[in-house]
Amino acid sequence: MIDPHHHVGSDDDFSDVANAIAADSAGSGSGTGAEAHTGTNGPVDTLDEEPSWSEFWGGWAMYKEAVYSGAIAGLSLGFLSVYVVLRRMVFVSAAVTQAAGLGVAASFWVAIHFGISLNPAWGATFLSLLTAVLLAGDPKRLGLSREMVLGMVFAFTSGAAVLIGSRIPQETGDIQAILFGNAVVVSPEDLQRLVWTSAGIIALHVWWFRGFAFASFDPISARVQGLPVRMLDLILLLSVGVMVGEVARALGAMPAFAMSTLPGMAALLVVRGPLPVTFAVASILGAMSGVGGYLLAYKKQFSVGPAQTVVAVSLVVIAALVRLGVGVGVRLVRRRRRLAE
Amino acid sequence: MTEAREAEADRWAEGEGGETVVDCKKLVLGYRGKPLLPAFDLELKRGCVWLVVGRNGSGKTTFVRTVLGLLRPISGRVVQSSQLRMSYVPQASTIDGTVPVRGGDVAGWGRLRGWGFLRPWKTSADWTAMRRALGDIDASTLERRRFGEMSGGQQQRVLIAQMLAGDAEVAFLDEPTAAMDATSERTTYRRLRELVHARGMAAVVVTHAVAVAAPFADHIAFFDPDDPSQKGGRVHLGDAAEVARDPRFIDFFGVVHAGTEAVGHDEVAGEHD
Repeated sequence: MIDPHHHVGSDDDFSDVANAIAADSAGSGSGTGAEAHTGTNGPVDTLDEEPSWSEFWGGWAMYKEAVYSGAIAGLSLGFLSVYVVLRRMVFVSAAVTQAAGLGVAASFWVAIHFGISLNPAWGATFLSLLTAVLLAGDPKRLGLSREMVLGMVFAFTSGAAVLIGSRIPQETGDIQAILFGNAVVVSPEDLQRLVWTSAGIIALHVWWFRGFAFASFDPISARVQGLPVRMLDLILLLSVGVMVGEVARALGAMPAFAMSTLPGMAALLVVRGPLPVTFAVASILGAMSGVGGYLLAYKKQFSVGPAQTVVAVSLVVIAALVRLGVGVGVRLVRRRRRLAE
Repeated sequence: MTEAREAEADRWAEGEGGETVVDCKKLVLGYRGKPLLPAFDLELKRGCVWLVVGRNGSGKTTFVRTVLGLLRPISGRVVQSSQLRMSYVPQASTIDGTVPVRGGDVAGWGRLRGWGFLRPWKTSADWTAMRRALGDIDASTLERRRFGEMSGGQQQRVLIAQMLAGDAEVAFLDEPTAAMDATSERTTYRRLRELVHARGMAAVVVTHAVAVAAPFADHIAFFDPDDPSQKGGRVHLGDAAEVARDPRFIDFFGVVHAGTEAVGHDEVAGEHD
């Protein structure tokens, strides 16, 4: 593997990690989670039964970075997802996510074919940022609409990721893990980078919240009043690009896309309060997707990325049902009041 | 209020106007090098309401977008101070109905100018100005209502409050009463005119509801690209009552009361002809 600390290939799932824990506890010493993870097939048979929560806590030292990563990724992408949904940028997020996946695949390809060691995280971030900048431009100057550019970028990045993947068969497992996400273990370095990136982006967005909101939802008035709307737009897209790049590398492209869209949808369905509350709820729901998905994957022996995605979707469905239920309840109460009068 | 300010306010009330805040010189409007109208000069002065009228596609919105700096003129220039506080009230809000903002939030955005968003919280002055603006336009009850759930007319009131909250010196209103009933339209124009004169703003109102709006205007700009008397059309500019007496204007809009509410006398344009 080019990057042994992190992305878990197709043969690396919770059972492998459990084996590693067992090997550790059998006296192989006090290795770190990443070290334990790299030691693959251990002496313990693959878990046939559902693992218990006590086993989970037993392996907490190994799982904790991945759990924290899920929470932080969900928190920051959940915050940004409100903009993504309200500004109808869901396909922008999809294209940026695909670009991040291509960036990781391209990093592997360059390393294998040219012997140049590239950090896949930088590859993901670079291509997702490049896509964000491309999408921030005004395509009308070229006689194109934004949808046309989005379609081209999405098709190109998806196709190129598959083509590159076919040229590096020895890393197919890793490419799959990157695209769909199987972050059973996350290295402390990846977690640290995710923490700092998220903290920086969220701090900027909280600080400039009024500017981002005005420029996003009423751009013409904001421009007339002298706000730097284009700059704010670009920073917003770059924020999405950077975060998606980081999360795609740490957790996988699929959960990155899910967390950058679904928590915002769920929050908008249930929150009736002011805009900042919507952002706060979306962040919490994002974190719940990240952590809940990880726990679900552990308990049911699923891949982590798809589990996080399913949890995020479930939260949207629950939010829709809550909204529906509240609506029906309010109508019933009103009808009873009318009848009582 | 100082004596000088009182004298200035009296002049505004008389429809004379004060200091020029926007000066359009030999302005040619259009898109992609294609002019819509011949060159014209126009000065926007404090305390004056300008009505911009004309058929669809005559260049009314292009004029507003050009003065706001959203479009470049084909030729000529727009002279204004870089510190000038401008506001724009669109015909229909561009704020998506799903955005969970309240009337108070939208009106409060009027307080944001330039890099003012670097201060992450609203000051007490911001709250006071927002509430006063909503009160000025009889929209105080909309402060806590969700913007997306308001009627078109209520949204327009909130957008006008946004303009007022920002203490705009020049306001551009594009069909600001299009979604209102006739009574609300008249009330809104009357209130707008009072505020323009009281605050020394300049207001430019683009409208098709000429008969309703004209009585409250000090000046009218009638964009007439089809005027056969002049190649390339004509821009009729001037005192509201005078422009309203122009035969081309009457052909288009009929006989309307123009400037009557602005200058305090009941003059029916056309009756003098």
